[in-house]
Amino acid sequence: MEQDRKQYRLVRLLTGGVTPLVLAAALVAFARWHDPSWEPGAQAAGICRELIAGTTEGRQALFGSCWSAPLPVLAYLPFAWLLPEPAAGCAAFFAAWLFAFWAVREAIKATGQSGWRIVMAQAAIAAMAASSGSVHALRMATALTAGLTLLAAAGVADWAAYRRLRDVVVAGTASALLALCGFPTFAPAALAALLLPLGACGDRETRARASAWLLLGALPLAYAAGVWMLLNRLVLGDPLFFLRSLGHVVPQPWKLWFVLALPVAVMAPALAATWFCDARNGGRSGGGPTAGSATLIAFAVSLLACGKVLQVLGLAWGTGALDVCALAVLMIALARLSQPLYRLAASLILFVWLSTFWFGGASSAGGRAPESREAVCQSVEAYVNARTPYGRVFVLGYTGLDLLRGYSGERLMANLDLHVGALRRAYKGQNLYVLVPRPVGAVRAESVFWRYPGIYERGGDRLLFAEAFGPWHLFEVVTAPTQEQLDEWKKARER
Amino acid sequence: MSETSDQKRIAVKTTDEIDPLELSHRRPEWSASQPLTRTQKIVTLALLVGAAAAFVCWPLRTAQTLIAACTAFYVVLTVYKFVVIRASLSPAASLRFSPSEIAAREPREWPVFSILVPMYKEPETLRQMVASLTAMDYPADRKDVQILLEADDAATLEAARALTLPPGFRVTEIPPSFPRTKPKACNIGLHLAKGEYLVIYDAEDLPEKDQLKKAVMAFEASPANVVCVQSRLNYYNPRQNALTRWFTAEYSAWFDLQLPGLAALNAVIPLGGTSNHFRTRVLQELMGWDAYNVTEDCDLGVRLARAGYATRMLETTTWEEACSDLRFWIKQRTRWQKGYIQTWFVHMRNPVKLCRELGFANFLHYHLLIGGVTFSVLVNPIFWLMAAIWFVFRPEGVAMLFPGPVFAAGAVCLFVGNFVFIYVNLLGCCKRNKDDLMAWCLLTPLYWLMMSYSGWRAFVQFFRAPFVWEKTQHGLVGKS
Repeated sequence: MEQDRKQYRLVRLLTGGVTPLVLAAALVAFARWHDPSWEPGAQAAGICRELIAGTTEGRQALFGSCWSAPLPVLAYLPFAWLLPEPAAGCAAFFAAWLFAFWAVREAIKATGQSGWRIVMAQAAIAAMAASSGSVHALRMATALTAGLTLLAAAGVADWAAYRRLRDVVVAGTASALLALCGFPTFAPAALAALLLPLGACGDRETRARASAWLLLGALPLAYAAGVWMLLNRLVLGDPLFFLRSLGHVVPQPWKLWFVLALPVAVMAPALAATWFCDARNGGRSGGGPTAGSATLIAFAVSLLACGKVLQVLGLAWGTGALDVCALAVLMIALARLSQPLYRLAASLILFVWLSTFWFGGASSAGGRAPESREAVCQSVEAYVNARTPYGRVFVLGYTGLDLLRGYSGERLMANLDLHVGALRRAYKGQNLYVLVPRPVGAVRAESVFWRYPGIYERGGDRLLFAEAFGPWHLFEVVTAPTQEQLDEWKKARER
Repeated sequence: MSETSDQKRIAVKTTDEIDPLELSHRRPEWSASQPLTRTQKIVTLALLVGAAAAFVCWPLRTAQTLIAACTAFYVVLTVYKFVVIRASLSPAASLRFSPSEIAAREPREWPVFSILVPMYKEPETLRQMVASLTAMDYPADRKDVQILLEADDAATLEAARALTLPPGFRVTEIPPSFPRTKPKACNIGLHLAKGEYLVIYDAEDLPEKDQLKKAVMAFEASPANVVCVQSRLNYYNPRQNALTRWFTAEYSAWFDLQLPGLAALNAVIPLGGTSNHFRTRVLQELMGWDAYNVTEDCDLGVRLARAGYATRMLETTTWEEACSDLRFWIKQRTRWQKGYIQTWFVHMRNPVKLCRELGFANFLHYHLLIGGVTFSVLVNPIFWLMAAIWFVFRPEGVAMLFPGPVFAAGAVCLFVGNFVFIYVNLLGCCKRNKDDLMAWCLLTPLYWLMMSYSGWRAFVQFFRAPFVWEKTQHGLVGKS
């Protein structure tokens, strides 16, 4: 008994402590020294900077979109408070991968597999992230998303296999958090919550309680969505503000519904398998390991299908994380199978090698080097200073927040919700400029582009093109002179 | 129950020679007979004066500090709740014995089990109580049932005398004296108990039939330091009205999730009011219950832990009657919360000694469970009010009280913390197969409002009438 307990503690220490720490540290080192384009804290750091400063822009950025997900920002926030950059980014990245490796353990341990299988799966996922060559794989947000996807998928699979109440709670909670990881995960999150009552329909006893499973499984997701809408209403004045950009990028809403419906269709065979196993199991609770494996594999396939459909719809910028999640779920499905250790090792190595082909086309040039950010800021500042001592430049969107990450001057300011009239009223008498990013990839979804279509190319009402700075266009806000300015000019003419 | 002539009438016994206040006489430092010691009064007063002075000198800074402290407390409480619920999933959370395991032990000699049933002015429940205890699956000659009746409770005494009690049942008369509390009666019962083990049931309780056997097996399967086994409590009238629905949800979460979680963590366990099984000898050594404490069960749980003993949860249920009348519910809840305040102050007379005896982890458990829960009930309305004002009017003042990190932590508590607390109730109902109550859990914040009201009532009563025992009215199920 005492020997068993000792061994259990040892396995727990190995799979929940030592291995995740070593692997997360190895990934930080790899990302820091191997990939020059990798920036710790990219995306989240800019928003955290504003949040810590307590600005409205920070709150707008946190809640106002579904492509820049709030959960990674919230996870990054404590690190940004406590540490300077880039240490904060590295620490957050490290913590996120620790969580992901812990999730691997949680996803496998229900099957009663040995500690070495868990260690192998953890190592294989780390190897896949490192060897993918995709900048998406080396982001804190990806690690968080992967960890939550594993928890949700394993929760649903364990529910299908063993019918334990804890699986409903794990899957329900993970799906709610997953939905806060951005729009590519909306469908998988909804799918996980929906599968809980559906998966229980094969057994008469659990079928009768389907409403309880639905409530318990879907309530966290519904609550998260409700809170998000409430905060959008409070911060941005529109409860659905965070979704508006999707409507702009994909004008036909039925296509988005298709993305949501597709995973359910993909899951149908797995559901049928679960019901069949459940019916055959007789008195025992759950469909057994076969149902669990079928659910996991189908979940991974539905993730891949989601990613592909989003690519077809032109929303490919967020699907790299989905691919990582799908492959991680498949690896977990492999590790949960009963097979000799050497065979598992061989199949995982093969899997990692094959996954490099999957990411073969991925670009690693997603990040911007800090020098280029500083150069843009300095050039814009110099341009404005040369024209007026009272100039103020509003840098638009999430890209703007990213641009201003290391900026310490006062001339450039972030702006998430452009209202030219409001700016003119608030900064009366000053020369105002607007810096607009090039609308490519995720930047297309910024609110400024669905509010002011064509602003980057043509400017807009009271916005005159001034200068181009790489991918940025600077526009001057044309303002009628104030009475004080007119008087000053008049006096100057008289002199 | 049949009243046949061959059944022997049990003589009513007087108990003048027993000291039911032994604990307060021999170990006054463990008793709530003095609600606050001199030092506690001075420290409390000094803290209040200090806070008032700080408010006058630095109003904004003081308010910010207090709010930051409360927010940190909320964060800790939320995380703590999560940890406890997660621990309840552990196999060590409850002791389980299936009917086949019990059958496998038969035939055997079962030890004598003492059962104490304190009653006061509830003659109508007597018959049902005797019937349910008679029906328990335990040899009749090994049951030692004492019905504890106050000497001036003529109606119940009359009803008991009129009833022919089964073998093993007896009535113990409690002489009238101050304080008029249930633990005082139980102490007399404890002194007269003949059993190796002892349990308390309320008059309206319906324990599962094999509960005594399970308790014996639990003690036999546990190490010697496990001296108390707590059964789960739940209600047999959950669907009577909204109040009983919320009450049942709360009890399901408390007894099916939180207490097992605490047991799994080897934490100090605030015992439930009934169905706690003890090794009689140890309980007598500990001088029984504190007659001055209005939640003597909670206090006893802490004293057991301080003495180095452990409590375990047993997977068996005693069905009780949920209070369905708001007035009586508020009185009952006031008593419970007042008792928690009493208990917290009693054991905080020497915090260093308490920490040494409990160990640091249990010391934290103690504060979060006994002090923390009561404190949260008291401060909740203040924060709800501030949140409501902020949502509706968005005044500058409220925003100033929550600087950056405090605002973020406060938002997490508001949106995540409250949800976690509701979800736990939902989970408790689901675990109890009470699916129809789950939707009612979504309205739990209304229940919290009532809890806060009784919390403040308890706080005031703690200073004005610390020993008043507001009795819960039972037997309302039939009436409704």
